[in-house]
Order: sequence, then structure tokens, then C-alpha cells
Amino acid sequence: MIQQVGRFLIAPAARPFTIMAGAVVVLGLIDRGNGYFFSLGTLFSVMQLFASLGLVALGLGLSMMVREFDLSVAGMFSLAGCIAVITGGTNPWLGALLGVAAGVVSGLIQGLIMTRLKLSSVGVTLGGLLTLQGLAYVLSGNQTVSYPNMSVALGLNAPFAQLFSVRSAVALAVFLLAALLMRYTYVGRDVIATGSDRRASRVAGLNTDRILIGVFAASGASSALAGVLLSYSLGAASPVGLSDVLAPAAAAAIVGGVSVVGGRGSPAGIAAGVLTLCILRSGLSAIGVPPYVHDLVTGGILLFIAVLDAPELARHITAWRLDRAERRAQTFTAKLS
Amino acid sequence: MSVLAVKGVTKRFGPNAVLKNVSLSLDAREIHAICGENGAGKSTLVKILTGLYSPDEGVVSIDDKPTAIQNPQHAQELGIALVAQELSLAPALSVLDNIWLGNRNVPLFHRRKSLRMKARAALDQVGLSDLSLDAPVSGLSIGRRQLVETARMLTREARVFFLDEPTATLSDVEIERIFDALRTLKAEGKTIVYITHRLGEVFEVCDSVSVLRNGELVGTRPTAEIDRGHLMEMMLGRSIGEMYPTWQSKPAGAALTIKNLHVPPVVRDFNLVAERGAVTCIAGQVGSGALTILRALAGLSAVATGEVTVLGKPMRLRSVAAARSADVQFISEDRAGEGIFLRLSAGQNLIAAKLREHTTWGVLARAKLRATAAKLAGAVGIDLTRLRSPADELSGGNQQKLAFGRSIGSAQPGVLLMNEPTRGVDVGARAEIYRLVRGFCDQGYCVVMASSDIEEVLGIADRVISMYRGHQVGSYRRGEVDMHRVLADITHPAAA
Amino acid sequence: MTEIALNNRLRGSGLRARHLVLGIRIVAAATIAGFALTTQGFLSTLSINALLTAISFVGCVAVGMTFITLTGNIMSLALGATVSATALTFLATLSFGIVPALLVALLFGVVITGLQGFLVGYFQANPILVSIAALSLLLGAAAFATGGHRIYPAGEGLAIFKGRIAGIPVQALCFFATVIAAQFILSWTRIGRQMAMVGSNSRAATAAGIETTWTITIAYMAAGACAAISGVLLAARYGSGDMELGAGYDYTAIAAVLVGGTAIAGGSGSAVRTLVGVTVIAIIEVVLLLRGFSEQLQYLITGIIVLAVIMLHVVGERR
Repeated sequence: MIQQVGRFLIAPAARPFTIMAGAVVVLGLIDRGNGYFFSLGTLFSVMQLFASLGLVALGLGLSMMVREFDLSVAGMFSLAGCIAVITGGTNPWLGALLGVAAGVVSGLIQGLIMTRLKLSSVGVTLGGLLTLQGLAYVLSGNQTVSYPNMSVALGLNAPFAQLFSVRSAVALAVFLLAALLMRYTYVGRDVIATGSDRRASRVAGLNTDRILIGVFAASGASSALAGVLLSYSLGAASPVGLSDVLAPAAAAAIVGGVSVVGGRGSPAGIAAGVLTLCILRSGLSAIGVPPYVHDLVTGGILLFIAVLDAPELARHITAWRLDRAERRAQTFTAKLS
Repeated sequence: MSVLAVKGVTKRFGPNAVLKNVSLSLDAREIHAICGENGAGKSTLVKILTGLYSPDEGVVSIDDKPTAIQNPQHAQELGIALVAQELSLAPALSVLDNIWLGNRNVPLFHRRKSLRMKARAALDQVGLSDLSLDAPVSGLSIGRRQLVETARMLTREARVFFLDEPTATLSDVEIERIFDALRTLKAEGKTIVYITHRLGEVFEVCDSVSVLRNGELVGTRPTAEIDRGHLMEMMLGRSIGEMYPTWQSKPAGAALTIKNLHVPPVVRDFNLVAERGAVTCIAGQVGSGALTILRALAGLSAVATGEVTVLGKPMRLRSVAAARSADVQFISEDRAGEGIFLRLSAGQNLIAAKLREHTTWGVLARAKLRATAAKLAGAVGIDLTRLRSPADELSGGNQQKLAFGRSIGSAQPGVLLMNEPTRGVDVGARAEIYRLVRGFCDQGYCVVMASSDIEEVLGIADRVISMYRGHQVGSYRRGEVDMHRVLADITHPAAA
Repeated sequence: MTEIALNNRLRGSGLRARHLVLGIRIVAAATIAGFALTTQGFLSTLSINALLTAISFVGCVAVGMTFITLTGNIMSLALGATVSATALTFLATLSFGIVPALLVALLFGVVITGLQGFLVGYFQANPILVSIAALSLLLGAAAFATGGHRIYPAGEGLAIFKGRIAGIPVQALCFFATVIAAQFILSWTRIGRQMAMVGSNSRAATAAGIETTWTITIAYMAAGACAAISGVLLAARYGSGDMELGAGYDYTAIAAVLVGGTAIAGGSGSAVRTLVGVTVIAIIEVVLLLRGFSEQLQYLITGIIVLAVIMLHVVGERR
């Protein structure tokens, strides 16, 4: 019975939520009733982190669901912020629109290159990452560009309902939209099918090229939106270091149940994965733990799940079990004779 | 007026012309068979007609109007539906989602009640009334998957239905249900194209048959006007005797003994004794467990259990290293995926398993390697000038010879396990492969082969073991059995 | 039958496509050389030295990356952090003498990266995810160990690395030695051949009896050793270090590997080709600098050129 419950909790569909619950429990225990963790302030900062990391993880997660890997999300995150800040001085909507449009265009171009030339996504998105990051450097002149419109910055970050800000509300809305799309329309089914078995989907009549291009456009748009929102709310944009965004986004997606080989995952799961990481980060710093612990915990969780998801793990366990059973049988018969 | 036709169609892959100047016309209210041996071009023709390939020369017409079919989606719009030979179901999705996958007429919010009902009706029609619509496809056996795919075909409102080897994994009862569904479609005025090499089925359900041989159309005849022998002659172009070598059986003692082999979930309680100098064939269709058994013997299965003895010594299962040190060599059915290294050269492929013997202090003796490669190439009949070419530039037959060459050449002739050795090999090269196999026997190897091609099994084996869904059905010596019997064995449910 | 047929499709139209690609490569090389040679100041000793130094640091990492890409594991995002970490280890143990410190740094790099290789080889865990995890763990562990401070040399002996032998900087010589050693392993040893086979088709390698786990682990260990060499050279150059030292090297390294012609899918590649790739990228950067392009534009143009070259290589191979 315990085994069954355990297996249910570890199963890919439920796993993100199990881990999230686990993180809350662990942090609560460490906090020991001091009230640092379970406070509205902490929850607010969790949601603020969610706003940035979540949208990038959503984009990366979508690309992983179709069995690809969009390295360029980190570059788009930087670039869109710079674009929005530079062009959105008088009209913030214009800046946001241009930033997101840049994301869509970059996804379209990379998707086209991948499908027409039949290249794998790692090479193409690597080039995309370098190019986008380079554009970010060029546009910003390699300095921090400040955003004059302070009212926007304040407005985006103003808390309402004590937990959310406009920024995190937008992120949640995007997740909701994505979840509805994936679950209730054939778009979601086609994305999973393409990731599960691309050749079979093509034979069945899906236009897998179009699906791939669409996924990369969505991924670009999502990470662009994240960059725009963050830059507006900070009142400044700077070309961000590459590692800061990619590692947590990948960790969030994989904790969220997305499988690297495609065909598995959902926006709800990704949201849970993102929340887990944000809870850990905010929670740990609220409790007063030094920041490097967060890196260690993120890395540890990612490593654990990477092995848990690995194709050969089950095979090795089964083989080990059978070997042990055979050895026992041999010693048994040896004892009899 | 013909519903779908091709005229003068030619298709090449690299230097090989897989289809040469083929012309064929299909009418309404007809079940039309396309027959030919492995490698005759049947699947390629179907892929052209369903939008997966485009012809290099020639014209495809619909209702007598020339049309270029651009992709499978376009084919669907034109009213063409396909049940492919390799299944096209997405394992991560449910049965319901798979049935409607790729269908253009599905609305955005796609899990409507009406679609569920139509899917249910289609599943019932193929005999899957007990299958839940929400069951994940990944949990279904190959036979059931094939039926789901046939159900999908029925939901496509098409005029022309292509079925490529639709009964390869099915039992008699299931096959009859498919035939009923096809007859219903025909009565509704549709065209059905049935690709198979099961000649019995051609005469049972088809109105006419076209035969392809070596990429050319040999002829089209109504089934009422010809008989089985005539059809075979059209397919082979010669008597069956020329394909297979003749030999004297010289079995020389047991080389491989298998007791109580279990390979979950399919194979249970398999027993076998195979002799040196003889070819033992395990005959079975896809899903029968024949391929699984040999893979387990090769050490590639993580879950196989049982007692195996090779040349008197017990051999451990579940380990490739153990199999190889017992002189058991394996030639995979999946040449491109597991058999050869496509991007390496032919020579590098030949010596791939012999690196240890050519290494001193970690360094390879390259000249000695080249010499060994040349020797192995000679033993299997590969032209020495091709040794430097990348393996993916070789023909299927030569690639299979590479796979053979890699497995021979050690000091002791041991056990050779081969899965589907002539899959994807054209007719000309197949005769050569059979000669090679008999040659190995003469050198003292014990050859165990798994195949779904009954004609091949009867032509080459000293002993035939027939399998159905994981159980052994019959065991026969050469000359004791005919094709009809073996075919019945592998498609009948096993008598309890 | 279909997979075979699809492979047949890729069998290529023979001579014409290959000659075309070769032609394009020659034209590209000539263009780059032309730009370089017509740039004022390019042939001066100053810029040649700058070129050699730049190549050496990132080049070692690129050679290490080649091992990983060759075995079909695409890339590692942790090599840059490994460079930094080994640099810090080297500096911190200098008090024991230069050779022991060197050995400790090498051992550290080999073990850290080898462990990743074991997970990737034994469990077939996704290599990119494992490297991202390792990156996080390294950053965290380093922050813990250093307390956020810069690390200064604990002993003497760095001067060796700053000199020249026969007019060539010592760093460049170390790099060339690494390239030669790596190329020897790849072309002449059994394990090198096994790496190519595993990268070409790991299922076929298993079926052929090759110990894929061990092969992949050794490849990663070699990558770790190369990263450690780079770390030592960097530590010597700058005289102190923190985790920013090797940041960003991963991307430049994999770009160099791909530009040099190693296939991203694995199965073919060489250290010499990576050397060419590193040189090409470095020449482009130096030329842009000398011609007065602002630093930001350099990054962008390099990125675009890398993308173009990657596309060209793969297109050429596929046709």
C-alpha cells in the first residue's frame, strides 16, 4: 500500500506538486515556527520571482516537450528587456509590444532554420543565443540603460491582495492561457504528439514543421515578456549574465515534470516546478540561510531528477534485482546439495 | 474514370532506382492488392501516393486530373487515408486522441462528445469494444495498436484507403473483422488498396492484384482469373529454387541449449536445442517474441531469465559482455539504429568489435586493423574499394554484409544470432546473403535466425520453430512442413 | 524498411554537393584571411601574441568540449565553472609547491567532470541537464568555500607561465601540447576510437560489446583535465581568481568546436579541427577589434558568423 502511494506521488504527472509540497514542508520545519517563512512578505517575493522565472521556464519547457532545447531563451530575456526600455519611454505599451514581437520573430526565424534545413535545435539556438545576447550588448552599449517612466515601474510592482503584483498576475494569466490551450484544444494534443513521436505524427497527417515553428515562437514570446516585465519593474535593463537564467529555468521545467525526450509535461506542472524553486529561494533567504545554499539545493534537485528520469535507471534496477534473486537461488540450491 | 492513378512514376534513392516507370490505375468500389517481395517497391509506391515522398519522374492523377500530392495533410484533403506499415500512433497520447490525431476536420476544442462517439463506433467495428478511449497507447500490445490505427483510418472521410501490411500482427479472428470492415467500405463505393505479401489474403478479399518486382510493375490481373502459383511466379520472376542454395545438412552436436527462457511480458517458457552446422529458424510475425528471444540471448534484455548453455558452458543472461565471451554474436534487425555505424567507414565497421585484439598499451595497430578489415571484407563479399566509403552510402545488402562481417572472424566459430537478416535488402542481394549463411554453417557456426518471412524460413532452415504471441507452437525438420502449416501456426491462437 | 529508405535518401548526390561545400569553405577561409591580412596592425607581434594568448585559454576548454561532443553528448555548460574552480584550487594549494598544486587542480577537474560523465554514461541521464546541475553545485560549493572572497596565490612559482620559449608564450605551448595529446588519443588509441563509435551510434556500440559507460566517463575526464589546464593558465595569468574567471567559456568553446567541423550529433571530430575553429573565431574577434568595431558589435558579429558556419557545415554534411 505504501509502495503504491509512493509510486503515485513520484509518477510524472503528480511529481511536481509532490515536490512543491515537500519543499514547503521542509522549509516550514527548518523555520520552526519563527514565522519568517510562512509570512506574506515571503509569499509576495515568491510570486515576484515566479513572474520572471516562470515565463522563461514555460518557454524552455515547451521546447523540451517537443524534444528540442531552446538555449536562446536566456538571450531573448536580455534583449527584450533592452528593447522595451529603450523604445518604451513615452509609451510603455509600445515598448512591451516591440519586445514581445522580437521574441516571436526570433522564434520564427530559428524555427524556420531548424525545419527547412533539418538541423537540431541545440546548434541553432546556440547561435541564436549568441546573436541575441550580442544584439543586447549593441543596443545597450554594454551599459545599464535606465527607464525613465517610474510610474510604470512602481505600478507593476505594487502589491494587491497582499500576495500578487501586476507582474505576477500577468505571468499567472499567461500560464492559465497556456494550460487551457494545452488541455482543451487540439494544439496541446499536437504538441505532445510531436514530442512523443515526430515521425508517427507526420505520417498521421500533422504538419510537424508548423508545430515546431509555433513552439519556438511561443518560447521566444514568453521569455521576451518575462524580460520586458522585469526591466520595466526594475526601471533599468542590462544585458544579463547568461548562466543566471538558463539553469533555474531548466531546473524548474524538469522539476515540473517536463521530460527532455519530449512528449510529457504541462504548463500546470511547470508552474508547480517554478513555484518550488521560487519557494526554495525566497524561503531560504527569509530564514536567513546564505545564498549559496540555494545554488546547492537547486543543483541537487536537478541532478536527482535528471537521474530519476534517466532511461537506463529502471533497467539497471531491474537487472540488479534479477541478479540478486539469481544469486540467492544459487546459494539456496548450493545449500541443499 | 479512375479515382487515383500513377503514370510513368520513377523514384530513386541515391544511385538505386526503387521504382521504375510504374503505371497503375485504381477505380471506385474495388479492393486492389499490391504484391511483391521485400524490396520490390510496394511501400515506396504507397508513400508516393500518400504524400510522404514525391516521384522523381511521372505523374499522379486524381479523377484523371494530374495532381502533385505535397504532404500527408494534403493527401488527407484529397481524400486519401493510410494505415502505415510502421505504426503512426503517438505513445504519450490516449486512444481517443490518437484516433483524431492529424484529422483536419477536428474543431479547436477537440474532445467533444460527438467525436468520442464516432471513435467508439470505429473501435467497435474493428473488434476493440473492450478498449477504453482514454487508455494510453503506450500500454497496448502491437496487435491492438495496429487495430487502433485501422480504426483511425475508418474515421477519415476518405475515398481511397491504403493498408500497408495491415495484418502482420493479428490473429485469424481479428483479420476477419478487418475484412468485414473493408467489404463495408467497398460497398459504400470506396477504393481500397491492400499491400501484402500474404497471398492467401489476396485471394480472400481482393478483387484485383498488381505485382511489383524489382521496382517494376509486372502486371495487373483480376484475382478471379489467376491462381496462387501464377501469382508467385509473377512476384519472383523465376522458380523459387534459384533464390536458395541447396546443401546437405550436417548437424554436428548441440551448440546452444535454452531452458525455461522468460522474457516478460511476451515470451514464457521457451526451450530450444540448436546444433552446430545447422540453421535453426524461429518463425513468427511482429510481436510473436521471435526477435525478443534472440535479443535476450545476445544479452540485450534487462529482464530475461532462464538457463542457457553454449558449447557446454553456462552463459549469463542480461549482459552483452557475457554473451560475447561465450562466442555468441548478434546481428540486429534494426540495422540503422543498432546494427552498424552509419557515419563511420565500411572498414571501421568491420573491425568495430575487434579493437581489443589490435591494441597494445592502449594504442591501436592501424595497419593490422586495415589488414583484418580487408580479410573480413573478402569473407563476406564486399568490394575492397568500398572500404573507405561511409557505411550509409552502401546498399542495404552491403550493409547487411557489414553486419555479418563484424560478427565473424574470431578464432572459434560460435553461435550467430540473426534477426530478420534480409529486411530492407533487395532481391538480388538476398540470394547472396543466403549463400553466406549456409557458408557459415559449413564453417561450423551454429546459426539461429528469427524471421517473419515464411518463404525465407522454409528456404534456408534445417529446423523451423513457429511462434505465436510468446509461445512455441510447432517444431519441424526440413522437408516435414509446408508454408500453409507454418502460416497457420503463426496466426492461429495457440491451442491451450 | 522505412528507416533504411530514409537513410537511403540522405545518401547524397555524390560528388557535386561535397565539392560545393569544399569550395565554399575555401572561399570563406580566403575571405577571412584576406580581411585579416589587410587589417592594419594584424601582423604585428603585439596582436599575434594577443591572438595566441586568447586562443590558449578558451582553446583548452574547446578541446575538452570536443571529447564530450564527440561521444554524442552535445555539450557541457559546466566546463567554464570547472575552469574557475580548478583555478581557485590551484591558487589555494600553491603553498605545497607548483607541481603538487598542478596535480591537485588536474585531479579536481578530472573527478568533478568524470562524475558527471559517469551519470551520463551509466544512467543515460541527459547531458545538458547534468551539466546545468553541476554548474549550480560548483557555484554554490565555491561560494561556500571561498566565502565570496577572491583567492590569491598561496605560494610562489607563477612566473614560469608568464614567460616565453623560443618566442612563443608558454601558455600557447601548453595549449598546443594539449591539442597534440588530445589528437593522439582520438586518432591512435582504442578508447578514442570507441568514443567516436559511441557518439556515432551508442546502441550499436553496446551491441558490439563496447563498454559505453567507461568510454563516456573517460571522455568527460579528459574534458575535465583540459578545463583544469585552462584554469591553471588563467590563474597564472591573472594572479588571482574568482568564479567569474571562466564564465562564458562554455559557449565560446562549443562554438569553436562546431565551427571547426565536429558534428554536433557526435561520431566525428578531432582536436585539430577544434584548433582551427578556435583560431577562426579569435581571428575574427581580433580583426574586428583592430578595425575599430566597438566591443559590442564584435560579440554580435561573432555570434552571427558562428551561426552561419554551423548551418553551412551541417547543410554540407546532410546533402
